[in-house]
Amino acid sequence: MGARGRQRPGGGATSQHGHPDGEPGAPGPAAGPGTEEEPDVRFTLANERTFLAWNRTALALVVAGLGIVQLLPPFPGVPWGRHALGVPLIVLGAAVSVTAYREWRRNQTALRRSEPIPQSVLPRILVVTITGVAALSAVVLLVSAVR
Amino acid sequence: MALPEDPEDLSPGTAAERTRLAWERTAIAFGAVGLAMLRGEPVAGALVLAVTPLIWALGRYVSSTAPPRERSRRLLLVTLAVTGVAVLALVAAFIGHGLTRFR
Repeated sequence: MGARGRQRPGGGATSQHGHPDGEPGAPGPAAGPGTEEEPDVRFTLANERTFLAWNRTALALVVAGLGIVQLLPPFPGVPWGRHALGVPLIVLGAAVSVTAYREWRRNQTALRRSEPIPQSVLPRILVVTITGVAALSAVVLLVSAVR
Repeated sequence: MALPEDPEDLSPGTAAERTRLAWERTAIAFGAVGLAMLRGEPVAGALVLAVTPLIWALGRYVSSTAPPRERSRRLLLVTLAVTGVAVLALVAAFIGHGLTRFR
């Protein structure tokens, strides 16, 4: 399959099947904005790999949260400290996984319609939560040191 | 012969191979999480470990020609599995080993 046989996100629509001239990857007659056709399988697979990568990130967040709760020694004077740090990471892990699935579906639809791939919200969610947990860690450490 | 615009055009099968490897890394990640949980929470860890072969099998079953609905269902299973692990971790954090230390 040549380069012309793929559907560039946001670019021209091509199809992987239904070509009157029999040439794989040639644009089908119905291709174009507003119509839905299965995109080039390489874009489908790339979208799937992105989804899987986010899910591995989600698993890492869950295990990090659980590790904080179960493996760290208690902060002196701050008995809630480990849960305050670990639980948001576990919840973030679940949220990342669910959002990754929703984005996979959304991206797949955009690919089928030859529309631009929408911007992902996942990096922002990750940055905000991890920054929040880092700030909270500083607070817990300071409170623990003062008490 | 001129090189194609995208190196992948030289060997289109590598996309499927990379995807299969991504599935295998995901299955290994489940196994690692299960083993990590096994120490503190044996039941939860065993449950997560039991999911690992399922994820592996889903990855082996991956096919570039899988119909969209089938692909969607398979990925939904991964999401459900990760969410399940998160729920187990929360339970372990609050009523498992973690709570005894919290008190």
